[in-house]
Amino acid sequence: MATLVSSSLLSANLSPPPSLSPSISLSSACSLSSSSSISLSHRSLSLSSRKPASYSAFTVKAVASEKKKVLIVNTNSGGHAVIGFYFAKELLGSGHEVTVFTVGDEGSDKMKKPPFTRFSEIVEGGGKIVWGEVDAIGTVLKGLSFDIVLDNNGKDLDTVKPVADWAKSTGVGQFLFISSAGIYKTTDQPPHVEGDTVKADAGHVGVEKYISEVFENWTSFRPQYMIGSGNNKDNEEWFFDRIVRGRPVPIPGSGLQLTNISHVRDLSSMLTKAVENPNAASGRILNCVGDRAVTLDGFAKLCAKAAGLPVEIVHYDPKSVGIDARKAFPYRSVHFYAEPRAAKDILGWTSTTNLPEDLKERYEEYVKIGRDKKDIKFDIDDKILESLKAPVAV
Amino acid sequence: MAAGGGGAAVQHNFKQYPSVSLLPSSQSTFRGTKLITSIQYKRKVCQPKGALNVVASGSKKILVMGGTRFIGIFLSRRLVEEGHQVTLFTRGKAPVTQPLPGESDEAYNAFKSKILHLKGDRKDYDFVRTSLKAEGFDVVYDINGREAEEVEPIIDALPNLEQYIYCSSAGVYLKSDLLPHREVDAVDPKSRHKGKLETEALLESKGVNYTSIRPVYIYGPLNYNPVEEWFFHRLKEGRPIPIPNSGLQVTQLGHVKDLAKAFITVLGNEKASKQVYNISGDRYVTFDGLARACAKAGGFPEPEIIHYNPKEFDFGNKKAFPFRDQHFFASVDKAKEELGIIPEYSLVEGLTDSYNLDFGRGTFRKAADFTTDDIILGKSLVLS
Repeated sequence: MATLVSSSLLSANLSPPPSLSPSISLSSACSLSSSSSISLSHRSLSLSSRKPASYSAFTVKAVASEKKKVLIVNTNSGGHAVIGFYFAKELLGSGHEVTVFTVGDEGSDKMKKPPFTRFSEIVEGGGKIVWGEVDAIGTVLKGLSFDIVLDNNGKDLDTVKPVADWAKSTGVGQFLFISSAGIYKTTDQPPHVEGDTVKADAGHVGVEKYISEVFENWTSFRPQYMIGSGNNKDNEEWFFDRIVRGRPVPIPGSGLQLTNISHVRDLSSMLTKAVENPNAASGRILNCVGDRAVTLDGFAKLCAKAAGLPVEIVHYDPKSVGIDARKAFPYRSVHFYAEPRAAKDILGWTSTTNLPEDLKERYEEYVKIGRDKKDIKFDIDDKILESLKAPVAV
Repeated sequence: MAAGGGGAAVQHNFKQYPSVSLLPSSQSTFRGTKLITSIQYKRKVCQPKGALNVVASGSKKILVMGGTRFIGIFLSRRLVEEGHQVTLFTRGKAPVTQPLPGESDEAYNAFKSKILHLKGDRKDYDFVRTSLKAEGFDVVYDINGREAEEVEPIIDALPNLEQYIYCSSAGVYLKSDLLPHREVDAVDPKSRHKGKLETEALLESKGVNYTSIRPVYIYGPLNYNPVEEWFFHRLKEGRPIPIPNSGLQVTQLGHVKDLAKAFITVLGNEKASKQVYNISGDRYVTFDGLARACAKAGGFPEPEIIHYNPKEFDFGNKKAFPFRDQHFFASVDKAKEELGIIPEYSLVEGLTDSYNLDFGRGTFRKAADFTTDDIILGKSLVLS
């Protein structure tokens, strides 16, 4: 990236080795010089993180004059909710100003689930939380202005347009959108790579198109599945629930299906990279996933290993059993595998997801909060297991 | 005329190194439908990002172990085009040179007149030592080495060797649920390819300037491993394609010409010193997807795919399917990022190239054998 800047700033764009904390911000170099003087096309020399550690880590807080004012419009439920939580904390740690606009009511039941139960951490870090509906965003945030807006809420134009239009009208310079890797058309030739054909009728596609027309500087992030403390929707918990109770883990299909399950800190670090390298990230679509895929069977085994327990996996055909696989299992039952090639290529981003290690931490928390003792119903599982016992018609 | 004479003598007629830039440009070198400009000019183009390529532009005296069967055929042509003096070390079982389908007479004769042959058995270590020592080579491309002990005499005979470029295999990686395989991943000391691993370790321990390339499945015209050929045989006969289990297993094919190009890129490249690189196609493919891609490449209709459980059959010692029944693919990011190596052929493009230049002309290495197919189909017929 910053090929022409002096060496001390040069090193700042490297991701430090995985064990270290958030990536160093290069905001000083990027915003001081005009973008045209530094070749930031994806073909410019990018210092790979595999270089020897002479660039070893020092975490630098952004210089006061480079502080950005970031607004995160955050969904109040679902798998993506946790993204805003990590991103807010990472930005605050780097010295930026953060406001989280949580969609809905402060008093709603939805706020009783993580990550919302931990939003005090954002406040303690110096961030602000407000609540409201996206249609009223202009009213709720009256008088306030931001440099950057992340929409981590809408799945279609209806829900994002109000935010985008308001952001444009108040002079927001950089618009980020959490889209979905689910919009890629299925393929015989994985992985999904940025630029591949997407499903034209997908809501997120409409949004990507709209923001690309409205904003000069926009980036769309296409995530998949996440694990991490504070998650709103069960992922690894689904597997732990069964493993810890000695129940078989029913997996639809062959279990060989590949998917991306990343630690949410990877998504947060990619978003942060975009904030700190706005010119490089501009106009880009980025697969927001770690750089390893795992098979469904493999993930079940990793969860069991993290728990130090055995696992029995049973495969089934959802159609034969007569159940909706989406209700029975937390992941898609086809290959759903993207690679973060653009982020690595263009932003010099690196993944730190380490499922074997990360799942250990997740399991520890799972037990700590007493979920292993919780009384859970396994109606759908039981239905599946029953049908597998029945003799197979020849 | 390339040395093809009997005995162990090496032709000495071509000691003068032709200067590098004189070769004519824009020869359509066996590309079939693709026209490529001379490699000379490509060298001067700025490499894509990441490649601080210190190009060794001087012509070198190169030894290729093997080189007359598949990879080496394409590699040696490129090396000769680049102006290097190239000697192929083989037993002479396959012809030292053969014209490639689609290659002009002019190009073939130019190649044939420059290539040198050193006839011998690489397992005759004394011969290897003495003959190599007598010649002295700057660079060795080891395309057919399997065991570490085969490499020792070569290294001993060439103390001033600039670079040892080794064709290893992604088969060395330990099977994993976390994919793709990356160069930093665990390898399997018990794998069928452990000889490759031991060779890499030997090169490392001897302090040789080596580069090791790990391809996945290689394909392209003249492939002697029945990869695409296996599908083409069935498609040609309008037979269903029997694929074990779900057909969702993900694998990866790399075109031989892209592999040859990669081998050229690492030559004299300081960044590649003592490094290992996965080299293969840019995308992976499911088994079912590969059947469909082969059909597209050969202009066949969409194939009928039959899935079967291999455990229900006894095929004797015959292989019912040419691929490992598991996911097997490797990331080529490292070569891309560090050396600017980007595969040129997409899967269907590459399979089309292979079809047009090989199977589609009526040539293949292994005759069609549908014995195992019939066993599978026979049983299916009985059940339905």
